[in-house]
Amino acid sequence: MKHLSMNHLPDSPREGHSPLAQAGSLQPPVGGLALSITEKVMLGHLVIRGDSDAPELARAIHDLLGLRLPSAPLQSCEDEHQGRVLRWVSPDEWLLTLPGENLTEVEAGLRARLDERFAIVDVSGGQTMLHLSGEDAELVLRKSTSYDVHLVNFPEGKTVIITFARSQVMLRRLSADSFELIVRRSFADYIWRWIHDAASEDGSALRKGDN
Amino acid sequence: MKQVNRIVGGRCVDYDAEIGFTFNGKSYQGLRGDTLASALLANGVDVLARSFKYGRPRGIIAAGVEEPNAILQVGATEATQVPNVRATQQILYAGLVCRSTSGSPSLRWSLTGLVGRLFGRLMPPGFYYKTFMFPGFMWRFYEYVMRRVAGLGKAPTVKDPDIYDHLNHHCDLLIIGAGPAGLTAARVAGKSGARVVILDEQAQLGGCLLHMNNRIDGLPPATWLAQTLEQLTGLDNVLMLPGTAAVGYHDHNFIVAHEIVAHKTSGHKMAGHKIVNHAGRDDSPRLPRERIHKIRAAQVILATGAQERPLVFSNNDLPGCIQASATSVYIHRYGVLPGRRLVLMTTNDHGYQAALDWHAAGVAGQESDEKRGRARRQVVAVVDARPQADSPLIQAIRSAGIRVISGSAVIEAIGKRRVRGVKIAAIDSLGGSVTGKVETISCDTLASSGGWSPVVHLSCHTGSKPIWHDEYGCFVPGETIQAQHCAGAITGVMTLGSVLAQGAESGRVAALAAGFSLSLSDDDIPQAEAIEEAPGIQLFHLPHIKSTSRAPKQFVDFQLDVSAADIELAAREGFESIEHVKRYTALGFGTDQGKLGNVAGVAITARVLGKSIAETGTTMFRPNYTPISFGSVVGRDCGELFDPVRYTAIQSWHEQQGAKFENVGQWKRPWYYPRPGESMQDSLNRECLAVRQQVGILDASTLGKIDIQGPDVREFLNRIYTNAWLKLPVGQCRYGLMCGEDGMVIDDGVTAALGDNHFLMHTTTGGAAQILEWLELWHQTEWQELRVYFNSVTDQWNTATLSGPKSRDLLQGLTDIDLSGEAFPFMHWRVGRVAGIPARVFRVSFTGELSYEINVQANYGLRLWQMLVSHGEQYEITPYGTETMHILRAEKGFVIVGQDTDGSVTPDDLGMGWALSKQKRFSFIGKRGMARGDCQSRGRKQLVGLLPVDPEYLLSEGSQLVCDPAQIANMVGHVTSSYYSATLGRCFALALVKDGHRRMGETIYSPGVKSVSRATICEPVFYDPEGERQNV
Repeated sequence: MKHLSMNHLPDSPREGHSPLAQAGSLQPPVGGLALSITEKVMLGHLVIRGDSDAPELARAIHDLLGLRLPSAPLQSCEDEHQGRVLRWVSPDEWLLTLPGENLTEVEAGLRARLDERFAIVDVSGGQTMLHLSGEDAELVLRKSTSYDVHLVNFPEGKTVIITFARSQVMLRRLSADSFELIVRRSFADYIWRWIHDAASEDGSALRKGDN
Repeated sequence: MKQVNRIVGGRCVDYDAEIGFTFNGKSYQGLRGDTLASALLANGVDVLARSFKYGRPRGIIAAGVEEPNAILQVGATEATQVPNVRATQQILYAGLVCRSTSGSPSLRWSLTGLVGRLFGRLMPPGFYYKTFMFPGFMWRFYEYVMRRVAGLGKAPTVKDPDIYDHLNHHCDLLIIGAGPAGLTAARVAGKSGARVVILDEQAQLGGCLLHMNNRIDGLPPATWLAQTLEQLTGLDNVLMLPGTAAVGYHDHNFIVAHEIVAHKTSGHKMAGHKIVNHAGRDDSPRLPRERIHKIRAAQVILATGAQERPLVFSNNDLPGCIQASATSVYIHRYGVLPGRRLVLMTTNDHGYQAALDWHAAGVAGQESDEKRGRARRQVVAVVDARPQADSPLIQAIRSAGIRVISGSAVIEAIGKRRVRGVKIAAIDSLGGSVTGKVETISCDTLASSGGWSPVVHLSCHTGSKPIWHDEYGCFVPGETIQAQHCAGAITGVMTLGSVLAQGAESGRVAALAAGFSLSLSDDDIPQAEAIEEAPGIQLFHLPHIKSTSRAPKQFVDFQLDVSAADIELAAREGFESIEHVKRYTALGFGTDQGKLGNVAGVAITARVLGKSIAETGTTMFRPNYTPISFGSVVGRDCGELFDPVRYTAIQSWHEQQGAKFENVGQWKRPWYYPRPGESMQDSLNRECLAVRQQVGILDASTLGKIDIQGPDVREFLNRIYTNAWLKLPVGQCRYGLMCGEDGMVIDDGVTAALGDNHFLMHTTTGGAAQILEWLELWHQTEWQELRVYFNSVTDQWNTATLSGPKSRDLLQGLTDIDLSGEAFPFMHWRVGRVAGIPARVFRVSFTGELSYEINVQANYGLRLWQMLVSHGEQYEITPYGTETMHILRAEKGFVIVGQDTDGSVTPDDLGMGWALSKQKRFSFIGKRGMARGDCQSRGRKQLVGLLPVDPEYLLSEGSQLVCDPAQIANMVGHVTSSYYSATLGRCFALALVKDGHRRMGETIYSPGVKSVSRATICEPVFYDPEGERQNV
């Protein structure tokens, strides 16, 4: 046996607790910044490692997922219908998210198509995805990271790993006023509290922060 | 209305909105839009402070950030105290409470004032260095008195209830200063589509446009300003930040700006319009009190303007002495005329504006003054240091019937707590000596203008030295390596038309440099009416009939009481570098950074040394341009957000059980689980015995876990660990020891062979991130040929550890894995289902008991835990925390890297030479390091056990060990871990002791504060040395 591939999910996935399941309402207080936070729970998160020049990688991704392997830095590629997103993470790393119920099948399919030079790691329980949306979503990000999240520099689909407050986040822009944050499980509580705190400010003073 | 100095026509105040405030316990009224300074002046408050060294009465001298005297303590309650607030920067809000920060015991009667009057002459520069050195033992007394008498405000002693915010900006163009130059630049650059940020320290944008009268494009300045601001507001790519001071200009055009948010009462789109009382606020959501803006700009335009230099003459610190331009600011912006009878002294035409404004206000208010029986407000005289000067402005003054005294200067102000009059005399053309008779004129206000100092401070922050511009008579920004442009008065150019033209051009050039091209049309360059000016002269320090050292004090730096005589003395005592003069006299060391006095100080130094000002140069200015609060530095990183807190999936259960928590790195880990009435030790004893006799459960999820895959994973592990990894069969685990290049232990843990190309490495909880980086470092820099990938799976797996003799029975009831000793031996792992959840089970042990570490995907960790606990009730399962884990592992002699090691300990020192593989083809990290002579020699500290001779005596962790209790300086080691063991029924410890491995059975001593305790050195394994219990 070269790799241990195992199904991590029990027969009734509903018994699971997402990282922010304990947090209660995720929404910032009324009257604060115009922002909505949702946790996208029980998704499959797969890390794919390998040489980006190896043709079988792009082929396997295409055949199995119907996605183009993003080879340019900070790019992502999405199949909205299937709920699959593949993000460039580093020159030899990608992150695939997909509906939890497809996870085992996709992992096994990739493993079958890729030889020992490639690594596939299930991190579905180790991180979670947040969607941040609303008029002030960008503003909250600007309180949290020194990265330039202005649309000019950070268009739809662009994916970056940023220092976020005192933690780290993988950030992707979904639209002009919505963002996807992927956070480590153990930091999720801190990041949610941070966002909540940053957003619980009377927004009137800041509402027109364009830069 | 009791505001005796309030007049009509203030452009920035709302006359219908009176608000109350308190100064030194007395209630006053001000207007919305006032600064604290303008409100105090409106109420005729002259004395705000006592000076630092001599205790002299001081009042407001300026209207902006350069104010040296009006430094107040603000805050209604202890929690909301803010020390050292500059009254000219504090916006007035209802209920503001402030008081003087100096003057002991009271402002009226000051102890230092008395000392200063009696002994001022005996307090030269360096006085403190020269005097309080001797006798040495008296220093504590001197310090106590000086700290009470000198110094400024006091810090609050309780938690600040306010919030502070940080906000990042990225822009193509940052414009600092929103006066005529900055606004014109913003208008031009804004049209290009560039992302523009324009900020200004003042609560209202406009700079000098707020108080000047010159028409622009045929419009009154207020109208032009309103139109320009409206245009900018309409541009989505332009952000305006009023009330925001750029305080630091750092490398790569990174600018830190400080905004006072909560008390803004008016302003533009960014300003919070809500009136918020710092003291009594309970509205939610709240506004932050202050905000730090971190701005990264491709191009920066400094349009910071200039500050007027008052002239240096005797008693120039008397309340009533004021900057000429500040007079115009108070009249036009705030509707405050801070006196009745003005004498104006000037070296240039600009000064005349103050006299014109005062005169006009006096005429306008004549009727009402007469009705109230008050003295008429008038300009008594204008004293012009220039021998003969003529210009339209001067003619305007003359035709208003105001006396102009040319070729003369005010050489001394007279008065005790406020100016009562001035002494005027003719001076020679260079201003070196008094040439005529002294005339005394009665007045209550003396405004002076000695020319302008461009605000070069920000330019200095990046290392650019200002250069003296002889024609303009001021320091201007020098060469810079930043992408920086200057426009307006900062360049030394003072005529409005030129300032506007420079603004437009700098906007174009900066936008172009940022990649946005545009051409200027005539409409882009505002036209100002040209006013003919007579040239000014360079004059800083005025002569007196007496020598400088004999004349009444002539202050250069008000905040630190540095006089012209002090600077002359410093130069005569041999301080030639201006930086040395600064440090000897304290010139420019105050919270105002000597904004008013620096140039005069330089000029005086230059004159004594017989050098030019250019040769003498200036001191440098460092961030911050103006003080900012600690709260604003901290931002949101305080309280529960001070540092990230990491939780495992079981946190809610631990909390329900009443666990006490311990910080391990950023993690919260259950420390112990006290039952009602239990002490910590009771709880530990119970938990320890439960694991030894029944079964315990530990949340081990925080252990670092690194998934390693690739064809070369075994070779990689073989190099990074000290022991052998090439042949570990799949299905098994092995303990690994990791060293740095120096041969010292840096980490340990169990690594499992999940597949031939697939391993799982466990690291210490605190070391997980560093070890992953360590692996990546070696892989990426040295061993790129090894095909291997590392991924952190620490958070992916939740780990419940069952430990104790009953753990097998407990677990077998929940899993399909055959747990029998034959099917699943010690140091093996298996995959199966536990409580229906797919799990990896590792049979490893950190307690020495039969143990199973059950790993499931973290989303199911809580579920698994609950199942284990409920199923475990029949086995009396006991949750245990990190402290029990520490005791149990110490009983077995298992080290904790970082507790029993300190970066200077080799595997041999730990008695773990068995973990060093001698046969590796490639070697391993640390092999050469630990082969160094020093690592092989005698006298190394080695891990041993200690048994205190008194079994109830708990040695302190970290305490030193000696061989001879009479010689406690001869330390031979220290205690690394020390516990009471319920299992052993006694205290025991682990220690690092020199040559400890050869000293078994010897007695060693631990000197305490009161007594010396004895202990016997022993092997560090106290329990089950054969390891039978974990192998069953």
